[in-house]
Amino acid sequence: MTLLEVKGLVAGYGSGPDILRGIDLTLEAGQIQCIIGPNGAGKSTLLKVICGILKPRDGEVIFEGESITRLRPDQVLKKGICFVPQERSLFPHMTVGENLRMGGYALKNARETRKRIKEIYRQFPTLKQKRWQAANQLSGGQQQMLAMGRAMVLSPKIVLLDEPSLGLAPLIVEHIFEIVRQFKENGITVLMVEQNAHKGLEFADWGLVLDLGKNVFDGPADTILADPRIQELYLGTRRVQEGI
Amino acid sequence: MTSVPVSAQEQPLVRSKLKSKHSILGLIILLLFLFPLTQLITANNLNYYLHLMLFIFMYIAMASSWNILGGYAGYISLGHNVFFAVGGYFSSYLLLRDGYSPFFTAPIAGFVAMALAFLVGFITLRVRGPAFIISTIALVLVFRIRLDNWERLGGANGLKLPLIDLPVEQIKFPFYYGMLILAIITVYTSYRIRHSKFGLGLRAISQNETKAEASGIPTSFYKIFAFAISGYFVGVAGAMWGYYLTYITPSIFLLILVGAQMVLMCILGGRGTVAGPVIGAIIMIGTNEFFLSEFGSSELNIFGTGAILAAVLLFFPEGIVGSLRKIGRLPAILDWD
Repeated sequence: MTLLEVKGLVAGYGSGPDILRGIDLTLEAGQIQCIIGPNGAGKSTLLKVICGILKPRDGEVIFEGESITRLRPDQVLKKGICFVPQERSLFPHMTVGENLRMGGYALKNARETRKRIKEIYRQFPTLKQKRWQAANQLSGGQQQMLAMGRAMVLSPKIVLLDEPSLGLAPLIVEHIFEIVRQFKENGITVLMVEQNAHKGLEFADWGLVLDLGKNVFDGPADTILADPRIQELYLGTRRVQEGI
Repeated sequence: MTSVPVSAQEQPLVRSKLKSKHSILGLIILLLFLFPLTQLITANNLNYYLHLMLFIFMYIAMASSWNILGGYAGYISLGHNVFFAVGGYFSSYLLLRDGYSPFFTAPIAGFVAMALAFLVGFITLRVRGPAFIISTIALVLVFRIRLDNWERLGGANGLKLPLIDLPVEQIKFPFYYGMLILAIITVYTSYRIRHSKFGLGLRAISQNETKAEASGIPTSFYKIFAFAISGYFVGVAGAMWGYYLTYITPSIFLLILVGAQMVLMCILGGRGTVAGPVIGAIIMIGTNEFFLSEFGSSELNIFGTGAILAAVLLFFPEGIVGSLRKIGRLPAILDWD
């Protein structure tokens, strides 16, 4: 079932040039889709448009057969699309517990929120241990864990992850991708942007390659990983293997 | 990702202290209620102390009220004395025209101040930071000019109000109790807001408004509502204060200094904490009064109060309560958050 569809999206910042120049994307329910591409390809911009932070100049975003193109971020959130931006969107001076409560802010039912936060604590014991600490006292990996846990509180249909592994040690990156897999097990569809293209595609079902604001390639993640052309252009491994 | 089990044990400890904390605070409040009655039994004249304390209560109420917007939501208002003036003028005018006691009209005066805050907030809370601060200063200036020229309300000369009809040893009683009750209600409201979902939203706004909005908080409504609530208690205080002084003029309420006073108390005690404004108000009025009685009207009191302020902020950059909490030395009795 197609959960999210993006058609011919054109967008840019202020009066600047178009960053996205007609992007198409299809996200199937239950999938992990990974968007890769060089710097400036428009990966993060695409996520910002989907979650309503940036208004597109043209094109459409369709969620469950309904256009959400012109909705405000909080309305998109209420539809069940949760965005975890690069800077992790935590409130640094609030405690871990308060940050999780902020994640459930859109929920009307306080008891339901508490129940879900308890569930998050069960899945992430580290967060439970640190729940009275301010978010800015956590390590980078723990902060990312908190940001993702926060997204789970809403039990959204889709979570948008913008470079979840950015600036983290390799061991912790592994752990973060395990959480991504956990999303999938909880029935949450994941759309993520990843600089670490190899790792991202390894964990993803579907891959999308962007360059200069356009789709370059779209297909199953393992196909992309195996495609020599894409390897050379965007994964940058082939040359290393050839010993250059 | 190894982690030390930190605050896991801290919490039960806090909870066990909670009971004794509540009883101590309850005892203090009870003593404050009984204190004026000693004047009826003993021959001592306590009117000076009653005056000083009701003045402190008033500022506790106003600073705590200011803290709801300025502390929790992070919007600094230097114009809260406008609500002080509106409350004072509203009740005083009704007293002169129809003879209604300001003690009964004070809650209504608060609502008038609240309505004004809604209106003003609707316009000015679209901007943040310095622009908002300047808009609040402008509000003070606008009201100052308006009231200075409003003949029906006495213009710059103000209004003379009748003295409350009580024997001299009881004359401070209604004001003392009125201000005490107002202070308790305000601090309690502030406490409840701090622990509510609304309070969590306001604190999110103070940290990052865009993130707060993205989390699903209706930020503009919250800000305006916080502004209105924080105008309410200041309005009520103004209504009683005018009656207490027996005269009101624009220059009593509408000095930048009066508005700044609330801000300074909050910063001194700890912005965004429940106990901060209370501590700030006590210290600020206490030290000012001490220097005033030591040095008389030599204006050295201004120097003294300023020196204390500077010293406190040097050693407690986040206010007394805020900084003590940060280093984990906050006495449980002051931990009201």
